[in-house]
Amino acid sequence: MNRFWFFFFMAAGVAAVGSFAAAPAMGWWFPGASLSPLGAQIDDLFYLIFVITGVTFIGVMLALGYILWKYGGGARDRGIFTHGSHTLEVVWSIVPAGILLFIALYQMDVWARYRVKSLFDPDALAHPVAEVTARQFEWRIRYPAPGKTLQDTPQPGDLYSVNDLHVPAGKPVVIRLRSEDVLHSFFLPHLRVKQDAVPGLVIPVWFQCDKVGEHELVCAELCGWGHYKMRGQITAQRDEDFRNYLEKLSNTQFDDGVTTAKADLPKTEE
Amino acid sequence: MIAQTKSAIAVLALLALAGCGTPSESSFSPNKAKLGSLIPEAQAEIAKVLAENFGTPNQLIAWERFPIDYDKPDPQADDEHKNQREAGWRLKEGRNLYMTHCVHCHGVSGDGDGPTAKFLNPLPRDYRLGKFKFKSTLGPLKPSRNDLIHIVEQGIPGTYMPSFVLLGDERLGLIVDYVRWLSIRGDTEVRLANELINIGAGENDVSDAVTADESKKLKRPDVVAGVVKSINDELAGLVNDITTGLAEDWAKADLPESVVVPESPRTPPTRDSIERGKKLFLSQVEGKKTKCVDCHGASGRGDGTSTEEFWPIPDAKPARKYEVAGLHDDWGHPQKPRDLTRGLYRGGRRPIDIYRRIFAGITGTQMPGFGGTVLKDNEIWDVVNYVLSIPFDGKQSAYPTELEENDENRKKIASGN
Repeated sequence: MNRFWFFFFMAAGVAAVGSFAAAPAMGWWFPGASLSPLGAQIDDLFYLIFVITGVTFIGVMLALGYILWKYGGGARDRGIFTHGSHTLEVVWSIVPAGILLFIALYQMDVWARYRVKSLFDPDALAHPVAEVTARQFEWRIRYPAPGKTLQDTPQPGDLYSVNDLHVPAGKPVVIRLRSEDVLHSFFLPHLRVKQDAVPGLVIPVWFQCDKVGEHELVCAELCGWGHYKMRGQITAQRDEDFRNYLEKLSNTQFDDGVTTAKADLPKTEE
Repeated sequence: MIAQTKSAIAVLALLALAGCGTPSESSFSPNKAKLGSLIPEAQAEIAKVLAENFGTPNQLIAWERFPIDYDKPDPQADDEHKNQREAGWRLKEGRNLYMTHCVHCHGVSGDGDGPTAKFLNPLPRDYRLGKFKFKSTLGPLKPSRNDLIHIVEQGIPGTYMPSFVLLGDERLGLIVDYVRWLSIRGDTEVRLANELINIGAGENDVSDAVTADESKKLKRPDVVAGVVKSINDELAGLVNDITTGLAEDWAKADLPESVVVPESPRTPPTRDSIERGKKLFLSQVEGKKTKCVDCHGASGRGDGTSTEEFWPIPDAKPARKYEVAGLHDDWGHPQKPRDLTRGLYRGGRRPIDIYRRIFAGITGTQMPGFGGTVLKDNEIWDVVNYVLSIPFDGKQSAYPTELEENDENRKKIASGN
């Protein structure tokens, strides 16, 4: 039992550090590099905090290991009890406070770009690409008619879709996020965007997806028994493809069964 | 204190054990509402027929009689598709998906009574009546396969039915085929129960026969034996007739001529058209019994006078009325006429969807079809235009912007003329 506690605690530390080291190779890490420029900055902040806490953690573990090794063996000297050390308390208050203050100031720029409306791309803010309404358990999407601006209330030419949010790629876009029932959270893991949808609020969310293609959209707030069903996708498209998509949506939505393709007629079986 | 600790440990142990072992095998539950009035012997006969021809959830029987694509087994299928080596593999795949995505609301038997169902309003669809509301086919017909795919794909706004669009066409098709199969199974059960009532297998018939016998010599077991004999004589024929009929019905729904297709394209939603539609909606046109207003209300809020009346229960013996005022659907649940001001259209918001609701009505509800009888094609389009304008106070109708801007009349509306 001499060295039991030393090995016990050091094993925990090694397991923690080891699992972090193995995470990227095992696919436990981020879902790929950020597809948005702001997301990359958010990742940088994450790594900064990660390094600070990582270094601290390793330092603490080493100190703990040293003490356990040195005093955990057979040498059972009587312990010395001390009460209070002003210097020590000042140091362990000031140093973490300084680190916290540094993080708080350092992240303000990114936070502001992500959240402060006056710093949004003015064009994107004036012409939101869609209204996304979370409800149990799906994402309902309303686009303004091509060439029109999204209004707060539904308009005659609005286009509707569900669970598949199409956006133009490579430029900032704004969506207006609402909830029809309970709290949901609009989470684009590949873009590092996460925003709660709050009943009664219309929250503008901006992001920029630089990679054309389909990416995950999930609900990140336990919203009821069907929370797991709230998986959607975001489809980033070139401008032209996005316009075509809206046109196609419009053709489907205003289908009168005569002038456009008779979509519901059963296809003749071969 | 010790007792509490002990019971806490016991509860924890139970919880821990609950996660172990194989779960009990799921089973199709009998349609109690329909079978309840039959004598137990007749119920057992029906259960036997269903078990023989449809199997259990774990041992499905893909009855070839029905127009459902079970696909042929492929013994050469590679390991990735090894499920395809079995007969009826498409049905089994459909069941697996159904059990993952649908069962918690719609239930193992498709009775709309899964564990989460009781929290929902409106209730999930009970497939066993073989009735589906939102479809493209003519009045009493079954929905086409595409109709069901469309609903699963798009979800039903205004209800708890979410969209499953991201499952993709292949899986949606598998789910829908399983739902059609479940519906046929439940429908067979219901129809068989009705037929057995007709040949005297009802609990009431049997007890009536016993009491009506004046000689007092007739005993219940004798009557039951007689009934069971006539069931045995007729059962095979009945099952054959019912399932053949169902197979034909479902096949017919997928024929092009079963689909409601307007004669003419949508009338542009000009102010005139919307006005004409409004008059029809309000039953203000001589000789047109439209009566939309009776249920949907003058402002389209779904608060018409019929929602405050007490309605008789159809086929109830003795005749009685529902305890709740307002309309009820064929499943016996209270049902509100759609509030048209909200712009939520359960069966879809395409003009063709609204057209079909008005033309063919909504199966299983009090919404009648007006097509071919009361309303002509262009009149239906007027009503569609009015209905789609109600969320916008009747001033403009949902319409593609491009056409809207090319339309002279619409410019007039915009300029306030």
